[in-house]
Amino acid sequence: MIYHTLLFALAVVFAAWAVMSRSLLISAMMLALVSVCVSLIFFNFGAPVAAVFELSVCAGLITVLFIGAVSLIRTDEEAHPENRVRFYALPLAGAIFAIAAWFYLPGFFNELSSWARIGRGGGDIGLELWDMRRPDLLGQLAMLAAGVFVVKSVFPRRAKGK
Amino acid sequence: MNIFSLDWYLIALLVFTGFYCMLASRSIVRQLIGLEIISKGAMLTVISAGALTNNLVFAQALIITMIVIEVVVVAAGLALLVKNFRINGSTDIWKLNSLKG
Repeated sequence: MIYHTLLFALAVVFAAWAVMSRSLLISAMMLALVSVCVSLIFFNFGAPVAAVFELSVCAGLITVLFIGAVSLIRTDEEAHPENRVRFYALPLAGAIFAIAAWFYLPGFFNELSSWARIGRGGGDIGLELWDMRRPDLLGQLAMLAAGVFVVKSVFPRRAKGK
Repeated sequence: MNIFSLDWYLIALLVFTGFYCMLASRSIVRQLIGLEIISKGAMLTVISAGALTNNLVFAQALIITMIVIEVVVVAAGLALLVKNFRINGSTDIWKLNSLKG
Protein backbone atom coordinates (compact mmCIF):
# COMPACT_ATOMS: atom_id res chain seq x y z
CA MET A 1 0.00 0.00 0.00
CA ILE A 2 2.86 2.37 0.81
CA TYR A 3 4.49 1.68 -2.59
CA HIS A 4 1.15 2.27 -4.31
CA THR A 5 0.49 5.59 -2.56
CA LEU A 6 4.11 6.64 -3.03
CA LEU A 7 3.76 6.21 -6.79
CA PHE A 8 0.66 8.45 -6.81
CA ALA A 9 2.48 11.05 -4.72
CA LEU A 10 5.50 10.90 -7.04
CA ALA A 11 3.24 11.43 -10.06
CA VAL A 12 1.82 14.57 -8.41
CA VAL A 13 5.33 15.85 -7.54
CA PHE A 14 6.64 15.30 -11.08
CA ALA A 15 3.54 16.98 -12.52
CA ALA A 16 4.10 20.02 -10.31
CA TRP A 17 7.77 20.04 -11.37
CA ALA A 18 6.74 19.91 -15.03
CA VAL A 19 4.47 22.91 -14.52
CA MET A 20 6.94 24.98 -12.50
CA SER A 21 10.08 24.29 -14.50
CA ARG A 22 11.54 27.25 -16.38
CA SER A 23 12.82 25.17 -19.28
CA LEU A 24 10.31 23.52 -21.59
CA LEU A 25 12.75 20.67 -22.17
CA ILE A 26 12.79 19.79 -18.47
CA SER A 27 8.98 20.08 -18.45
CA ALA A 28 8.78 17.49 -21.25
CA MET A 29 11.12 15.17 -19.36
CA MET A 30 9.14 15.54 -16.13
CA LEU A 31 6.00 14.72 -18.11
CA ALA A 32 7.74 11.51 -19.22
CA LEU A 33 8.47 10.71 -15.57
CA VAL A 34 4.78 11.26 -14.74
CA SER A 35 4.02 8.73 -17.48
CA VAL A 36 6.51 6.27 -15.99
CA CYS A 37 4.84 6.62 -12.57
CA VAL A 38 1.41 6.12 -14.15
CA SER A 39 2.73 3.05 -15.96
CA LEU A 40 4.08 1.58 -12.70
CA ILE A 41 0.70 2.23 -11.07
CA PHE A 42 -0.96 0.32 -13.93
CA PHE A 43 1.44 -2.59 -13.34
CA ASN A 44 0.63 -2.44 -9.64
CA PHE A 45 -3.11 -2.57 -10.38
CA GLY A 46 -2.55 -5.71 -12.49
CA ALA A 47 -3.08 -4.06 -15.89
CA PRO A 48 0.14 -4.94 -17.78
CA VAL A 49 -1.13 -4.29 -21.32
CA ALA A 50 -2.22 -0.75 -20.53
CA ALA A 51 1.06 -0.23 -18.64
CA VAL A 52 3.18 -1.27 -21.61
CA PHE A 53 1.14 1.00 -23.93
CA GLU A 54 1.53 3.89 -21.50
CA LEU A 55 5.26 3.34 -21.14
CA SER A 56 6.00 3.01 -24.86
CA VAL A 57 3.58 5.57 -26.27
CA CYS A 58 3.17 8.26 -23.58
CA ALA A 59 6.63 8.09 -22.00
CA GLY A 60 8.35 7.43 -25.34
CA LEU A 61 6.57 8.76 -28.40
CA ILE A 62 4.89 11.81 -26.85
CA THR A 63 8.14 12.86 -25.15
CA VAL A 64 9.95 12.64 -28.48
CA LEU A 65 7.22 14.76 -30.10
CA PHE A 66 7.45 17.36 -27.32
CA ILE A 67 11.25 17.52 -27.43
CA GLY A 68 11.19 17.86 -31.24
CA ALA A 69 8.67 20.71 -31.07
CA VAL A 70 10.51 22.45 -28.21
CA SER A 71 13.80 22.31 -30.09
CA LEU A 72 12.07 24.00 -33.05
CA ILE A 73 10.73 26.89 -30.96
CA ARG A 74 13.66 27.32 -28.58
CA THR A 75 14.53 30.80 -29.86
CA ASP A 76 11.10 32.12 -28.87
CA GLU A 77 11.33 30.58 -25.42
CA GLU A 78 14.63 32.41 -24.84
CA ALA A 79 13.48 35.69 -26.41
CA HIS A 80 10.06 35.93 -24.69
CA PRO A 81 10.20 34.16 -21.31
CA GLU A 82 6.87 33.91 -19.50
CA ASN A 83 6.06 35.61 -16.22
CA ARG A 84 7.17 33.03 -13.62
CA VAL A 85 5.29 34.41 -10.62
CA ARG A 86 2.09 32.55 -11.49
CA PHE A 87 3.99 29.26 -11.74
CA TYR A 88 5.83 29.78 -8.46
CA ALA A 89 2.43 30.26 -6.81
CA LEU A 90 1.47 26.68 -7.70
CA PRO A 91 2.68 25.09 -4.40
CA LEU A 92 0.64 27.64 -2.44
CA ALA A 93 -2.47 27.15 -4.59
CA GLY A 94 -1.98 23.37 -4.50
CA ALA A 95 -1.62 23.36 -0.71
CA ILE A 96 -4.80 25.45 -0.32
CA PHE A 97 -6.65 23.08 -2.65
CA ALA A 98 -5.26 19.99 -0.87
CA ILE A 99 -6.27 21.24 2.59
CA ALA A 100 -9.73 22.33 1.42
CA ALA A 101 -10.26 19.07 -0.48
CA TRP A 102 -9.12 16.97 2.50
CA PHE A 103 -12.30 17.98 4.38
CA TYR A 104 -14.73 17.18 1.57
CA LEU A 105 -13.35 14.77 -1.03
CA PRO A 106 -12.44 11.65 1.05
CA GLY A 107 -15.98 11.42 2.46
CA PHE A 108 -17.46 11.87 -1.00
CA PHE A 109 -15.08 9.28 -2.47
CA ASN A 110 -15.93 6.79 0.33
CA GLU A 111 -19.59 7.21 -0.56
CA LEU A 112 -18.78 6.90 -4.26
CA SER A 113 -16.78 3.69 -3.85
CA SER A 114 -19.63 2.15 -1.84
CA TRP A 115 -21.85 2.52 -4.94
CA ALA A 116 -19.58 0.25 -7.00
CA ARG A 117 -21.20 -2.82 -8.54
CA ILE A 118 -18.76 -5.72 -8.72
CA GLY A 119 -18.42 -7.07 -12.27
CA ARG A 120 -17.75 -10.57 -13.53
CA GLY A 121 -14.02 -9.97 -13.81
CA GLY A 122 -11.71 -12.39 -15.54
CA GLY A 123 -11.67 -12.52 -19.32
CA ASP A 124 -8.81 -12.08 -21.66
CA ILE A 125 -7.58 -8.73 -22.98
CA GLY A 126 -7.03 -10.20 -26.47
CA LEU A 127 -10.59 -11.52 -26.60
CA GLU A 128 -11.85 -8.24 -25.24
CA LEU A 129 -10.03 -6.10 -27.80
CA TRP A 130 -10.33 -8.22 -30.93
CA ASP A 131 -13.76 -9.78 -30.46
CA MET A 132 -15.93 -7.74 -28.14
CA ARG A 133 -14.74 -4.20 -28.80
CA ARG A 134 -13.86 -4.37 -32.46
CA PRO A 135 -15.73 -1.10 -33.21
CA ASP A 136 -13.29 0.59 -30.80
CA LEU A 137 -10.39 -0.57 -32.94
CA LEU A 138 -12.06 0.84 -36.04
CA GLY A 139 -12.54 4.10 -34.18
CA GLN A 140 -8.86 4.12 -33.23
CA LEU A 141 -7.81 3.59 -36.83
CA ALA A 142 -10.11 6.42 -37.92
CA MET A 143 -8.61 8.62 -35.20
CA LEU A 144 -5.06 7.86 -36.36
CA ALA A 145 -6.05 8.64 -39.95
CA ALA A 146 -7.56 11.93 -38.75
CA GLY A 147 -4.28 12.79 -36.99
CA VAL A 148 -2.26 12.10 -40.12
CA PHE A 149 -4.71 14.20 -42.14
CA VAL A 150 -4.42 17.12 -39.68
CA VAL A 151 -0.61 17.10 -39.85
CA LYS A 152 -0.75 16.78 -43.64
CA SER A 153 -3.16 19.71 -43.96
CA VAL A 154 -1.26 21.91 -41.50
CA PHE A 155 1.96 21.45 -43.46
CA PRO A 156 0.91 21.39 -47.14
CA ARG A 157 3.52 20.69 -49.80
CA ARG A 158 4.51 23.91 -51.51
CA ALA A 159 3.75 24.09 -55.21
CA LYS A 160 6.69 24.56 -57.56
CA GLY A 161 7.40 28.13 -58.60
CA LYS A 162 5.95 29.68 -55.42
CA MET B 1 -10.63 6.13 4.48
CA ASN B 2 -10.17 3.23 2.06
CA ILE B 3 -7.29 2.96 -0.42
CA PHE B 4 -9.41 4.04 -3.40
CA SER B 5 -10.47 7.25 -1.65
CA LEU B 6 -6.82 8.12 -1.04
CA ASP B 7 -5.95 7.32 -4.67
CA TRP B 8 -8.75 9.51 -5.96
CA TYR B 9 -7.75 12.32 -3.61
CA LEU B 10 -4.22 12.26 -5.07
CA ILE B 11 -5.69 12.08 -8.58
CA ALA B 12 -7.70 15.23 -7.74
CA LEU B 13 -4.40 16.96 -6.87
CA LEU B 14 -2.92 15.80 -10.19
CA VAL B 15 -5.90 17.14 -12.14
CA PHE B 16 -5.72 20.43 -10.20
CA THR B 17 -2.05 20.77 -11.22
CA GLY B 18 -2.98 20.24 -14.88
CA PHE B 19 -5.81 22.78 -14.74
CA TYR B 20 -3.53 25.29 -13.01
CA CYS B 21 -0.95 24.88 -15.76
CA MET B 22 -3.58 25.48 -18.45
CA LEU B 23 -4.95 28.53 -16.64
CA ALA B 24 -1.62 30.14 -15.75
CA SER B 25 0.24 29.82 -19.02
CA ARG B 26 -0.23 31.35 -22.45
CA SER B 27 2.31 29.10 -24.15
CA ILE B 28 0.81 26.40 -26.37
CA VAL B 29 3.40 23.85 -25.18
CA ARG B 30 2.42 24.38 -21.57
CA GLN B 31 -1.27 24.16 -22.48
CA LEU B 32 -0.55 20.75 -24.01
CA ILE B 33 1.49 19.71 -20.96
CA GLY B 34 -1.47 20.64 -18.74
CA LEU B 35 -3.79 18.68 -21.00
CA GLU B 36 -1.47 15.66 -20.76
CA ILE B 37 -1.43 15.85 -16.96
CA ILE B 38 -5.24 16.01 -16.83
CA SER B 39 -5.51 13.03 -19.18
CA LYS B 40 -3.12 11.05 -16.93
CA GLY B 41 -5.51 11.78 -14.07
CA ALA B 42 -8.43 10.56 -16.18
CA MET B 43 -6.58 7.34 -17.05
CA LEU B 44 -5.72 6.67 -13.42
CA THR B 45 -9.38 7.20 -12.50
CA VAL B 46 -10.51 4.70 -15.15
CA ILE B 47 -8.02 2.03 -14.10
CA SER B 48 -8.73 2.42 -10.38
CA ALA B 49 -12.47 2.25 -11.05
CA GLY B 50 -11.79 -0.92 -13.05
CA ALA B 51 -9.84 -2.39 -10.14
CA LEU B 52 -12.58 -1.41 -7.70
CA THR B 53 -15.34 -3.08 -9.72
CA ASN B 54 -13.22 -6.10 -10.76
CA ASN B 55 -13.44 -5.04 -14.42
CA LEU B 56 -9.78 -4.48 -15.23
CA VAL B 57 -10.07 -6.00 -18.70
CA PHE B 58 -12.68 -3.45 -19.79
CA ALA B 59 -10.66 -0.67 -18.19
CA GLN B 60 -7.51 -1.68 -20.08
CA ALA B 61 -9.34 -1.73 -23.41
CA LEU B 62 -10.70 1.75 -22.68
CA ILE B 63 -7.27 3.04 -21.69
CA ILE B 64 -5.68 1.81 -24.91
CA THR B 65 -8.32 3.80 -26.81
CA MET B 66 -7.62 6.85 -24.63
CA ILE B 67 -3.88 6.62 -25.27
CA VAL B 68 -4.39 6.56 -29.05
CA ILE B 69 -6.67 9.61 -28.87
CA GLU B 70 -4.16 11.40 -26.63
CA VAL B 71 -1.33 10.85 -29.10
CA VAL B 72 -3.38 12.20 -31.97
CA VAL B 73 -4.47 15.27 -29.98
CA VAL B 74 -0.87 16.03 -28.95
CA ALA B 75 0.45 15.52 -32.49
CA ALA B 76 -2.23 17.85 -33.92
CA GLY B 77 -1.58 20.44 -31.18
CA LEU B 78 2.18 20.41 -31.73
CA ALA B 79 1.69 20.66 -35.49
CA LEU B 80 -0.43 23.77 -34.92
CA LEU B 81 2.24 25.13 -32.59
CA VAL B 82 5.02 24.75 -35.14
CA LYS B 83 2.83 26.23 -37.89
CA ASN B 84 1.93 29.19 -35.68
CA PHE B 85 5.59 29.68 -34.80
CA ARG B 86 6.57 29.74 -38.47
CA ILE B 87 3.90 32.33 -39.30
CA ASN B 88 3.98 34.58 -36.24
CA GLY B 89 7.30 33.74 -34.62
CA SER B 90 5.44 33.26 -31.35
CA THR B 91 4.02 30.42 -29.27
CA ASP B 92 1.39 32.59 -27.61
CA ILE B 93 -2.02 30.95 -27.66
CA TRP B 94 -3.75 34.30 -28.26
CA LYS B 95 -1.97 34.61 -31.61
CA LEU B 96 -3.57 31.41 -32.91
CA ASN B 97 -6.49 33.40 -34.31
CA SER B 98 -4.23 34.62 -37.11
CA LEU B 99 -4.29 31.06 -38.47
CA LYS B 100 -7.94 31.28 -39.47
CA GLY B 101 -8.52 31.15 -43.16
